[in-house]
Amino acid sequence: MERWQPVSVLSNIRRGEVAGVRIGGHEVVLWREDAQAATLHAWEDRCPHRGMRLSFGFVRDDALGCLYHGWQFGGAARCRLIPAHPRVRVPASIHVRTYTVREHAGLAWVSMEGAEDFPHQQADWPEHAQPVRTVHVHAPVGQVRHAVGLAPDGGMAWHGPVGLAVHEPVAGQAMLHVVRAADGPSALTLSHWAERLRDAVEGGAQTAPVMAELAAGATA
Amino acid sequence: MTSGLTLYDWTPDVRCYAVRLGLSLMGVAYDTQAADMDLPTFQRPVGLRPGERPPVLLVAGDVRMTRPGTIMQFAARQPAVARAWLDPAHEWAILDWLDFGTMALDALAAARDLAFGTTLPVLPPMGALVAALRRMEDHMSARAMAGHEWFAAPAASIADVLPFVVFALSADLEVERDTCPALRRWAHRMRGLPGFVVMPGVPDYA
Ligand code: FES
Repeated sequence: MERWQPVSVLSNIRRGEVAGVRIGGHEVVLWREDAQAATLHAWEDRCPHRGMRLSFGFVRDDALGCLYHGWQFGGAARCRLIPAHPRVRVPASIHVRTYTVREHAGLAWVSMEGAEDFPHQQADWPEHAQPVRTVHVHAPVGQVRHAVGLAPDGGMAWHGPVGLAVHEPVAGQAMLHVVRAADGPSALTLSHWAERLRDAVEGGAQTAPVMAELAAGATA
Repeated sequence: MTSGLTLYDWTPDVRCYAVRLGLSLMGVAYDTQAADMDLPTFQRPVGLRPGERPPVLLVAGDVRMTRPGTIMQFAARQPAVARAWLDPAHEWAILDWLDFGTMALDALAAARDLAFGTTLPVLPPMGALVAALRRMEDHMSARAMAGHEWFAAPAASIADVLPFVVFALSADLEVERDTCPALRRWAHRMRGLPGFVVMPGVPDYA
């Protein structure tokens, strides 16, 4: 399970958008094609030309363009246009390193090892979970996992209609991802709830009362 | 033809950038007097008073303003400027966030002065700046959930200008973009506004 990292709620990465995320200190660019299929991609956040972060770039149809010199990379991560030399056939060796990415339960999941086997046990999570919010927590990931009741190898913790997942952008910090089933509390309610949980974790306060709000359904 | 407005401007100063950005977005014309604060006092423009530092906006040689928040209000109240920048229907929310923005901009300026005024490879205490960014992120997350795209009104207003500068230039201070996803999406919209200008030397990637 640990091989698949939940990195973002899907509402943060809509059609035509680019977002940088970090996984254990590694910089990853998530981007979604501005094309009919609107496929989501996860690549190393580093342009093969001069190393610029691709997450500063832009989406052109089904390609990701680098902000620095405009090299464009197609869905297969191969460079297909060098604006300074538009007629040059770009060698296939110029490409970005790719990771595998899945969209499930309102979240983007990335495997940096390129795993293809998205685990089966996740099939019983609510199919139509809606993204609420990804919240940065300045605390070790273990502390946040413990607070929300996630086993170290668990992908998601469901508390009734509320789904929680955690990943570590860099040592000492955590990203908390919140999703909801259609019959759950409103996104706004859950967003404020997540802020209270974050503040409790960071402030070293008791998190159980905040978690108990979920159980009581009293998150208003 | 002269604009009647003179801005004493120091290019690398974040408050000056906030003023240039706001005036440009609102389409307000002005004359610039470059005031390089790294130069000795006697080489600075004569119009600048002792102890005064840019930005200073001079109106017809009479009124002078030094605070970005005041300058935003002054510009937004000019007859030729679109009312949306200080939308009467949302005036108090706009002014409230404008005031917040001036505080956050001061926190950014202080953190940058410390970070770039030293040769030590250490980051300054960022408490005030990080707290401001977090409040902005929480606010824009909630706004997005309510279907809003801007800080305080249905359209971009002067409430958006200073927070944008704070977010965009905090990248220099190693505030990672992935910690503020709602601000990233809003900043992208800001960059698409007519009249948007970048800060020289800061890549257009906020
Ligand atoms: S660094 Fe990306 S195109 Fe040059």
